[in-house]
Amino acid sequence: MIWLIAGVLLLLAALGAPLFALIAAIALVGFHFAGEPGTAVAIEFYRLADMPALIAIPLFTLAGYLLAESQAPRRLVRLTNAMFGWLPGGLAIVSVCACTLFTAFTGATGVTLVALGAVLYPALRQAHYEERFSLGLLTCAGSLGLLLVPSMPLILYGVVAQQFHTTPPVAIDALFKAGLLPCLLMIVVLSAYSAWQARGLPEAPKSSAREVWAAVKDAAWELPLPFVVLAGIYSGRLAASEAAAATALYVLIVTVLIRREIKFGELPRVIREAMLLVGAILIVLGFSLALTNWLIDADVPEKLFAALQAGISSKVVFLLALNLFLLVFGMLLEGFPAIIILVPLVLPVALHYGVDPVHLGIIFLANLQIGIFLPPVGMNIFIASARFGRPATTIVRASLPFYALLLLCVLIITYVPELSLWLAR
Amino acid sequence: MSRLLVVLNWIENAILAALVLLLVGLAGAQIVLRDFFDTGISWADPLMRNLVLWTGMLGALAAVRDDKHIALDVLQRYLAPVAQKIARIVTLVFAAVVCAAMAWYCFSMVKIELDSANQPGQIPAWLPESILPVAFGLMALRFALRAFAPPAHTPPLLHDPAQAPAVTQTPAQS
Repeated sequence: MIWLIAGVLLLLAALGAPLFALIAAIALVGFHFAGEPGTAVAIEFYRLADMPALIAIPLFTLAGYLLAESQAPRRLVRLTNAMFGWLPGGLAIVSVCACTLFTAFTGATGVTLVALGAVLYPALRQAHYEERFSLGLLTCAGSLGLLLVPSMPLILYGVVAQQFHTTPPVAIDALFKAGLLPCLLMIVVLSAYSAWQARGLPEAPKSSAREVWAAVKDAAWELPLPFVVLAGIYSGRLAASEAAAATALYVLIVTVLIRREIKFGELPRVIREAMLLVGAILIVLGFSLALTNWLIDADVPEKLFAALQAGISSKVVFLLALNLFLLVFGMLLEGFPAIIILVPLVLPVALHYGVDPVHLGIIFLANLQIGIFLPPVGMNIFIASARFGRPATTIVRASLPFYALLLLCVLIITYVPELSLWLAR
Repeated sequence: MSRLLVVLNWIENAILAALVLLLVGLAGAQIVLRDFFDTGISWADPLMRNLVLWTGMLGALAAVRDDKHIALDVLQRYLAPVAQKIARIVTLVFAAVVCAAMAWYCFSMVKIELDSANQPGQIPAWLPESILPVAFGLMALRFALRAFAPPAHTPPLLHDPAQAPAVTQTPAQS
């Protein structure tokens, strides 16, 4: 009977059934066999309204979508270009930094690719960067900000991991601090590669002081945002949800009332777009809360650990296996759901192998970040292909050096826990 | 019939937008009160947590309309058109059934709260919970309808920055 149900659900999953419905079905069936009524799943689901950390998610997402719909991407590129464009590989480095900041705010790598790719790709080509390099760089840079404050996936990891009451606990701000250096590592590696790629290119003229000043003035309203959020959270003065509230309110006022780049009548549709993403994620999270409870009751993580221990005895091998596992699932599940579904299974096992839960979060996201644009089915390959009007195979070929570079970073992040934990603990 | 649908969609968007704006306003007010006046609204925090649930559920309901629910679409891409159509019907009807079941279970949860005694002067527990049976019920209905409709193609952004800056007239679509 169990195998029949599992087979049917697997088939439905492969055919493209909504993930939340699959998880809900597993939870309902699981609770039923455990002798619990279906109402118990409803009660578990309602715990969504009992998690203060979740408030940050709709607020940051709304702010990100408002920024993406406004002219902020254009101004961001203009400003960073005026300041750093003259460096060797400057425009490529600008692209990496702009994408990182933008993804950190939206939490949605695809949105960054669409919003910033449109501005950056023509600019890179105009500055004589190779087509192949430009395509690969932007496809890869789209997912770069996932480790940086205030990224939604980091908050999600924290929320899910907190269900396990680990020692040491997984505080959201500890995760934010832990993500900083690994994120910088990736930016530095990609920037160095960009500078090397750009060595034969004609030197870009240094922007005049007047252009720098004009760009600063142009972006004056957005300029305080990253500083307030980054400084507020990294200094511990603002909780994640407070920073989110301030950001959302500020961006709303600036884009709608002051700059008027989003007309009042369009606001409901932009809000709707943002809440589509939030709703699609929260509903998966709600059912996985129920499922997690059932998994723990059924001792699944312990059994999994026992089974794994037969083959994997050392932490080093476990981490390597984890990397492979996360790359594949990151590719299949586009990041967010991968966190929600896999953390409850992986976290207890990883604790047994002596992995710090905060470090595990960084490993998770670093891997998922690559998975998002990994062939054959990584989502961002197709978004980039649509954005830049090139076949998916071209995008994959262009991304090859970037897989190598980011994989190198992931290995460093995985095997040098201090990189993540130095600031967090 | 289609006019009615347009009106219903408009109402849905308006409620969602109003709740999100309320959430933003409340969260902003809390910070101002806390940092500048050293007070806070005591009921704001539970209200905000429930607003997250409400906006999340309405967002999930809206996501059904745009086919934006997270799913694996590995195999689907390689199916023949007819098989794709069948796969769509099977998977979305399955989702409709799950949502209907959840609507029922959430309704029984709300009913338990309704039957139990209320403390006077407090917001009864069934009120914030009531979004669950309603939203799941509507999702079941919408999944059942979407199963037989062609897939939605919606742009990731309303304003495409690749187009000429601003002043693009986005056609009204529901």
